[in-house]
Amino acid sequence: MTNQQLEKLAVPLPRQWTLPSPYNAKHLLWVIAILALLLLTGKRTEMDKMVAMTSQAVSHLLGFESDSQVVRGFKRVANGMWPPVVSTQEEVSRISQFDRTDLPFGSEIVQQEITTQRMNLETLQMEKVVSSEEFLVRPFGYVWDVFIKMVETLEIALWGTLIAVALSLPLAYFATANYSPNRYVYTFSRGLISLFRSTPELIVALFLVLAYGFGPIAGVLALGLHAAGFLGKFYAEDIENADTKPQEAFEAIGSGKLKTLWYGVMPQVFPQYIAYTAYILDRNLRMATVIGLVGAGGIGQELKGRFDLFQYGHVMTILIAIFLFVFALDQLSARIRAKLI
Amino acid sequence: MIRFEMISKTWADGSKALSDVSLNIPKGQFCVILGPSGAGKSSLLRTVNGLVLPSRGQVFMDSVEINESVRQQMRKRVAMVHQHFNLSPRLSVATNVLAGALPEVTLLRALTGWFSPQDRQRACELVQRVGLLPEHLQRRAGDLSGGQQQRVGIARAFMLNPEVVLADEPVASLDPKISADILSLIRETAREHGTTVLCSLHQVELAREFADRIVGMREGRVVFDGSPEEFTHEQARVLYHGYNKEEPAKPRFSEPEISGLRYA
Repeated sequence: MTNQQLEKLAVPLPRQWTLPSPYNAKHLLWVIAILALLLLTGKRTEMDKMVAMTSQAVSHLLGFESDSQVVRGFKRVANGMWPPVVSTQEEVSRISQFDRTDLPFGSEIVQQEITTQRMNLETLQMEKVVSSEEFLVRPFGYVWDVFIKMVETLEIALWGTLIAVALSLPLAYFATANYSPNRYVYTFSRGLISLFRSTPELIVALFLVLAYGFGPIAGVLALGLHAAGFLGKFYAEDIENADTKPQEAFEAIGSGKLKTLWYGVMPQVFPQYIAYTAYILDRNLRMATVIGLVGAGGIGQELKGRFDLFQYGHVMTILIAIFLFVFALDQLSARIRAKLI
Repeated sequence: MIRFEMISKTWADGSKALSDVSLNIPKGQFCVILGPSGAGKSSLLRTVNGLVLPSRGQVFMDSVEINESVRQQMRKRVAMVHQHFNLSPRLSVATNVLAGALPEVTLLRALTGWFSPQDRQRACELVQRVGLLPEHLQRRAGDLSGGQQQRVGIARAFMLNPEVVLADEPVASLDPKISADILSLIRETAREHGTTVLCSLHQVELAREFADRIVGMREGRVVFDGSPEEFTHEQARVLYHGYNKEEPAKPRFSEPEISGLRYA
């Protein structure tokens, strides 16, 4: 067929057969508006300064710039943090009820000479005084102490998660459009879930410390309440989105809501529930290390104390411990999930 | 056993699913409802267990009218076999069958999954009855083939010794050979228990083979009611195309003239 013949065959398209261009002036306006917003907020959050300081640091490292505030800051911290502290050393005289015959496992008593500056009252001159002091040295003492604190943190995270699950399961049931007994209960449960989720753990912990005092109770409750908001929302949405076919089968024979939920919905959503709960446990472990900062128990209290005393070596040990615990938990939960699904 | 008296169902959007349907289904009958998609077959079945409440008219079961106050009680006597099996795919075959007894099981037993020895015994008997093997009991229902899943669905339906089984296109997603097996299984099991069966189907041949009685439905109305022998080829044509070969009626609405494309 020649081109002419082909052109004859081509029927002119009717008016409605047009595919409009995907972009128009409106899209351009949107792009300009978004760019303007980014510029404005970028200035307010000092993003320009961040870029300048970072590039200064990079050029300092490459040898172009003589000084960089950022590099200096990092160096100071890094020097203090390395090496991480492993052992503990305590003056024997300060340990109450010290039993010389029953030393902790692996520890030893070390004599150390301490040089102190003291004013001689007769000559009114400063002079060095050398005294001998006994120290109890535990070679892995600090690692052990941190381990114990981390286990305590893990326990806080675990109980926070348990409380969250216990609270959110009934909450989720009442917060589903298809299982909630009526609109008021539904709205109330949804509101409660939003309230829990919108209050950060650290703030809740601050108030709970005032109510329950320093220690793990405030931590557990703070983690539990916040996570209940998260879990309640996700549990409820999974119930609402579950395949209706098995539910219809149980409804058809008059099983009642709770049994239908248990046999028609739970098996479907179970793997996702495990995933959410494992995420919450992981998140709670990380948050449990932080809420100690406000006195709600766990490793955070230790961390804050050491940080305030500029003992960065201790801080480093704690940070490594947190990383190892989070990593181990991650591996464990991955394995448990693989088994259950 | 079941009596439909002039029932009509109009959906919220104004479309009519059923118009003035009256039927009387005696006890133990295997009644097949035939008709094109959207003829109201599913709606009719669902009025029996109250999943669909008729806008007008009454449904009686053993002379008791089915309404909202009694439907929860009635549902225990009416089992259902579904087109898509509607099993809980992650639960074992045994648990799926046991779940057929849920309405009669205490909440504590249901939540813990601790069914009574009698229930477990009955579940085993039914799983055997529908032609599955003991090793299927602990398999996940979702891992079975379609035909096997429907067997589980049938076992579940007979868990509470139902007086009526509603089979809503039970073989629509199965191949012809397995379809025949499943239908004869439903029929035989129903006969053993003296159960009345209301079964909607798409396949005319299967209906002729298995039904005691065929009810043809079109656009929410009963257009045929008789024995399989009376349901001739011409009757089938009327049912599915709305007119006879000899006197072609006008199509109700014009279709675009594109070959291979039709309104579904």
